[in-house]
Amino acid sequence: MTPTTSRQSALSELGGSALRWLAGWWRIVHLGAQILALAVSPSTYRLADRSALLHQIYLSTAPNLMWFTALSALLSLVLIRIVLVTAFSYGLSQYALEMVVRVLVLELIPLTAALFVAFRCTIPYAAEIGAMGTQPELGALKLQGTDLLHHEVLPRALAGMCAMLMLASVSCVLTLVLAYLSAYGFTRWGFEGYTHTVGQIFEPAVSIIFLLKIVLMSVIVSLIPLASVLNEPGRTRGRASVEMRGLVRMFLAILLIEAASLVGNYY
Amino acid sequence: MVQDASAVSPVAHLEFKVAALLLLMLLLVGGSVLYVMYARGVFEPTQQLVLVSDDSEGVKVGMDLTFSGFPIGRVRRIELDPEGDARIVVDVPQKDAHWLRTSSVFTLVRGVLGNTGIRAYSGVLSDAPLPDGAVRKVLVGDASAEIPHLVSAAHDLVQNLTSLTGPDSSLSASLVNLQASTEKLKGQHGALGALFGNDKDARKLVDALDRTNALLARVDGIAAHADAQVFGTDGAVSQSRAAIAQLDEALADARATLKKVDAVLQETQGIASNVRVATTDLGALRAEVEVSLRKVEHLVDEVNRKWPFARDTELKLP
Repeated sequence: MTPTTSRQSALSELGGSALRWLAGWWRIVHLGAQILALAVSPSTYRLADRSALLHQIYLSTAPNLMWFTALSALLSLVLIRIVLVTAFSYGLSQYALEMVVRVLVLELIPLTAALFVAFRCTIPYAAEIGAMGTQPELGALKLQGTDLLHHEVLPRALAGMCAMLMLASVSCVLTLVLAYLSAYGFTRWGFEGYTHTVGQIFEPAVSIIFLLKIVLMSVIVSLIPLASVLNEPGRTRGRASVEMRGLVRMFLAILLIEAASLVGNYY
Repeated sequence: MVQDASAVSPVAHLEFKVAALLLLMLLLVGGSVLYVMYARGVFEPTQQLVLVSDDSEGVKVGMDLTFSGFPIGRVRRIELDPEGDARIVVDVPQKDAHWLRTSSVFTLVRGVLGNTGIRAYSGVLSDAPLPDGAVRKVLVGDASAEIPHLVSAAHDLVQNLTSLTGPDSSLSASLVNLQASTEKLKGQHGALGALFGNDKDARKLVDALDRTNALLARVDGIAAHADAQVFGTDGAVSQSRAAIAQLDEALADARATLKKVDAVLQETQGIASNVRVATTDLGALRAEVEVSLRKVEHLVDEVNRKWPFARDTELKLP
């Protein structure tokens, strides 16, 4: 084999990989759109399907809520204390609260909640869906078209979104309360100043970016792992490889959202 | 077989629990949105204040207008007016607007670290309240603008210090002189050598001091001798004491003599009284003598008239 032909074959292989990568993304987006379309269609919430949906939502949210709330409260307390003490020692205590709210509430808590939901819920759900591919009954289900999406994927995706929104909202509110208590203690006299600081941070643009970030992250962590598994059920490279690719895609998407939110907030 | 989620482990009151979870989430999200809106002052009636400045550097939308360190307003918009000045539109909640008066002064202060603050000062709180939509000029105080002056002054100071401490400077010369003086102080004649500048004069002073010492020794001997002369057994003091004793005796004699004199005076007083009586008699005698004298005078006048012995008394006419 001559070097020229090897280079051409390498180039063609690279181009093929890129095309496959883009095609994979496209299929994931397409599947995600299908799931979202099913999520907003009233037929999804018929009485027959509602039970499975509620069960998934409950299983995804309730057990994780306590754990995540406790962990995030602990992490928040440690970080708040570090920031307050450090800012006080440098004589910058007037910026400490703003920094705490910006770092924790705007950035860290949503990211942590997204990763927590991904690892505790949606990636195991994707593994479940993937495991169904090895069972003989899946063929029958696949023949039914959207039934697989409707009965198995959609409840899990919606449960993941609900869990992410729930964990993020509870932890953010709890962190705001903890920041107030750490800075002022159990008194109401700091409320005006604290509210003023919060008002200064949550400008309209920042608030919209924050809400969009949480919603998009919930969609990403719920859909990408499931869609990745559904996208490549028959691949011969093994299920673990498919789940890993889904994980990488999910991290990439989270990174993009985080970078976009940072750019929107601070540039 | 595909497992149905609801078939795995049934949850009691599932619908209620999920509804409670969703309700909690909605409450948290809704409450947070309302709190942020409250914190942004959405529910608070505000009035507008326009601050005009020739430079709005450092001013950001959302930054505070402070009064006595308390935020009483928030920058809502920054825009350029047709004259090219920056118009800083500030929303002031009506509950805080009473701190702003028509005589209030507004400053835009830039710190050294680049932090900017808009501050209001109301000296006379009894003035009329600032009306809605009032336009005020903001005074700009820039701490960083002072840095070039400060650097220039520091540069001058360093130059002065350099010239002061240079090898040809007067301070250096003074230090050299001081060192020379110190060397002289450490020399044979010490401070005297430093004072006189040469050893010859210092030696003269030392000689003078030696001679003075010798003189003092002699004065000391003289003083001892004088002491013996004055306070010795035959000294002036003892002799004076004897003389005083003699004087005392003399005084006693004088006192006795005076007593005698006193007696004499008493006698003299008696004599004087006798003389007074005699003087009274002399008055009558005198009167008689005067009468006799007049008679003699009259007699002499008569003799002169009858036998003139007088010098030529004729009157001659011219």
